[in-house]
Amino acid sequence: MSETSSKDKTVQGKLTELSELVGWFQGASFKLEDALGKFKQAEALAEEIEKDLTKLKNDIKIVKKKFDSED
Amino acid sequence: MDEVLLSVSDFVALTNQTLEYAYPVVQVEGEVAEFKVIQNKWVSFKLKDDGAIVSCFTGLFQMRIPLEDGMKVIVIASPRLNNKGFFTLNLKAVKPVGEGSIKKGFELLKAKLEKEGLFAPERKRMLPRVPTRIAVVASTESAGYADFVKIINERWGGLDVEVAHTQVQGIPAPDQMIRAIRYFNSLEVLPEVLVIIRGGGSAEDLSTFNDEPLVRAIAESRIPTLVGVGHEVDHTLADMVSDVRAATPTNAAQILVPDKNEIIRSARAQANSVGYLLTQAIDNYSRQTKENLQVAFQRIQQKLDDTFDQLGVLRVVVAQLNPENVLKRGYALIRGDQKVGSVIEIETFKTSIKAEVQDVRNK
Repeated sequence: MSETSSKDKTVQGKLTELSELVGWFQGASFKLEDALGKFKQAEALAEEIEKDLTKLKNDIKIVKKKFDSED
Repeated sequence: MDEVLLSVSDFVALTNQTLEYAYPVVQVEGEVAEFKVIQNKWVSFKLKDDGAIVSCFTGLFQMRIPLEDGMKVIVIASPRLNNKGFFTLNLKAVKPVGEGSIKKGFELLKAKLEKEGLFAPERKRMLPRVPTRIAVVASTESAGYADFVKIINERWGGLDVEVAHTQVQGIPAPDQMIRAIRYFNSLEVLPEVLVIIRGGGSAEDLSTFNDEPLVRAIAESRIPTLVGVGHEVDHTLADMVSDVRAATPTNAAQILVPDKNEIIRSARAQANSVGYLLTQAIDNYSRQTKENLQVAFQRIQQKLDDTFDQLGVLRVVVAQLNPENVLKRGYALIRGDQKVGSVIEIETFKTSIKAEVQDVRNK
């Protein structure tokens, strides 16, 4: 798991990182000393995911090629 | 014309020229009879109704759906008189008409493709959970396409969607869709999913999606396919052969991408669950620390109690050894030399006496 959440990551990457953070809290490598930092990271990721998903628009293009006859 | 003398060949050529001019293409509806496949290359049958019968002829490769005697069809054909004097309809296309014939054609082709294993579950490929590059084959003027676009825009963002506009019903539709499927499959960077959609329609409209070459093109696609044709109750061979079947174009959009609102809710819930886990961990640590302290206090208390107990016992022993207690019981303490004439000191509990020793004897 990467320690810093990157703004360049895709939504999918951020979702994976968030799931990994939840896993860390439930797993054997949990350390109270690191937990607050990880919690802040998870909160920031959830916020970024929401922002990304809200602002992203789909790019729909109609193919110029005509399909009514063989070229 | 009655004064012109024609050879037989010229007559046939002239007749064909006239037919070509007057009826370049005709559509004729009738019932199939005497259906035959010749040398696995040619197809011939008779088209009949109650009053007449006409021969039909075509190449096997032009047959888009299996035929059987008794099926009602519309043929699109050019009328021709051949060199042997037989009048035929040279077929360009055949399509079953009427619910019974459409169903029959569907069942025949389904059985054929099933035998080849085209519908086998092991052929089905998974679609990516969140694709980014999507190819769509649809009529961009259709309500089904509008529904699809509306739903994907509501559900997800950041998709790169390329749409091939084709007809989705009528004779040209299957070939147009096949060309579109091949176009997407020939791209240097393949889309991650190929979506083929069409809204509801009559059995005849939807029979486009039971066209054998189209069904095979979908089966051969290198790109995983998602087909949503008609309504929930409609089943076509195109959706049966696809990797994933959607009940409708709207359902295709729902299958294709997750709902961003659900993802946002889930991300928030995950972050909250992390907060809860953190609080729980702090509570656990705090409880554990309290318990440890309590155990430590209990042990110290125990040790102190034990020590006090020991001290009590020692006090009793010490008290028992105190000479005053012996004097209290009536004994006396004698100090001084035990020889005749010596002055000795006798101490009782209450008195102190000086006395002279008059006699000393051994016992």
